[in-house]
Amino acid sequence: MTQIDVGDGEDARQGLVTLVVTVVEILMDALEREAVRRMESGDLADEEIERLGEQLATIEAELEQLKEDEGIEDGVDDLRGDLNGLVNDAIEQLHGEPRATSEPGYSVLGGEDE
Amino acid sequence: MSSGRSNDRLEEIADAERIDDLEGVDDFDDLQDAVDDAVPEIDDGRYLYCIVRADEGATLETTGVDGEPVSIVVADGIGAVVHDTDGIYDSADLAQVRRWLVRHQTVVDEAAQEFGTPVPFQFDTILRGGDEAVREWLREESDTLDRALSGLAGHWEYRVEVVEIDPVDDEALIERDDRLQELADRIDDSGSGTSFLLEKKLEQRLTELRAARRESITADLRDRLADAAREVHSLERSPTASLSDDIADEADGRDGETLCRLTLLAHEDEESAIGSILDDVADHDGFEVRFTGPWPPYTFAPELGGDESTDTQPHA
Repeated sequence: MTQIDVGDGEDARQGLVTLVVTVVEILMDALEREAVRRMESGDLADEEIERLGEQLATIEAELEQLKEDEGIEDGVDDLRGDLNGLVNDAIEQLHGEPRATSEPGYSVLGGEDE
Repeated sequence: MSSGRSNDRLEEIADAERIDDLEGVDDFDDLQDAVDDAVPEIDDGRYLYCIVRADEGATLETTGVDGEPVSIVVADGIGAVVHDTDGIYDSADLAQVRRWLVRHQTVVDEAAQEFGTPVPFQFDTILRGGDEAVREWLREESDTLDRALSGLAGHWEYRVEVVEIDPVDDEALIERDDRLQELADRIDDSGSGTSFLLEKKLEQRLTELRAARRESITADLRDRLADAAREVHSLERSPTASLSDDIADEADGRDGETLCRLTLLAHEDEESAIGSILDDVADHDGFEVRFTGPWPPYTFAPELGGDESTDTQPHA
């Protein structure tokens, strides 16, 4: 994946909402992981854990509602899938695995163009 | 065990050749520029299918990509299966690309039947300069090619995919695992905010547990296959390339969860030994094994001309 297309006109609004919701979802995942980690650490009182959980649950419910209202559930899923691919590609590149997806699918060798 | 030969085959071809994944074109910046306009100019090009052991005058009766007649250029006992071309094969029409790929694969298969295990090239590998340039290249690389052909002789690539048709559901996993069981109980006893976080934790554990289970099944299978095969590699769990939306949709719509995809290089004599190892796996409740091959050893062919600063960098 090399570009994110949000479309134009009325599409642009929905495309942008999809993008924003996707980014917020990814952020939420990270927050939830961190919250679980803190809960496990034993540093938080029971009431604090309860409150933190309630807040995250509320935001998640709002996000779900927003996706439903905007009819972008599939769009968000697709974009997340693409972004995961992007992250995997980045990791593979970090590991020096050969990937050159933007290169043409052919090899022409020899001759005067060299 | 199921084969689903034709579709698997297409997927395999696309996957094995990684059609949009060519390295080694860095030296062709000028070529890249040309791509923006149209296609690189090729004078007297030779489209390369594979390298085989062949004597002077050897022929292969078959039709190549786009209906071109196929010939064999031989130098010192090593032959390149080629056809004449003036351009690259590129099309936005997936059906067309699919026909070309299948044709490429068929020619390599036929060459394999005639001359033994070939060193295959990726689709759309073209050498400029006519038969003479091909001969020159064969001579230059004769040591490498000779080693590759001897090393691969009698060996083929096989692909294995293990799918769990009816994946274990979360409840069953929770029941089997004491820690998860305890977590599930705590969720029932907690306030809504706390149980929200505990549920997230449960999901994380389940994901980890499933990944660990996949890894142990894969590692076990790899170990067992390693006895019969010369090399075993793990592939990504889902293929990166698909040739058409139907195939992609079909793959998505498949029941079950892919546990692992392996590719192996094995001697043809070991084929039945591998088959019986896979039969054991397939006997396991709910596991389906997809076994395809023999394929030309795409994954195991050497990278020719790799890091050298020469201008010829064919990719086998």
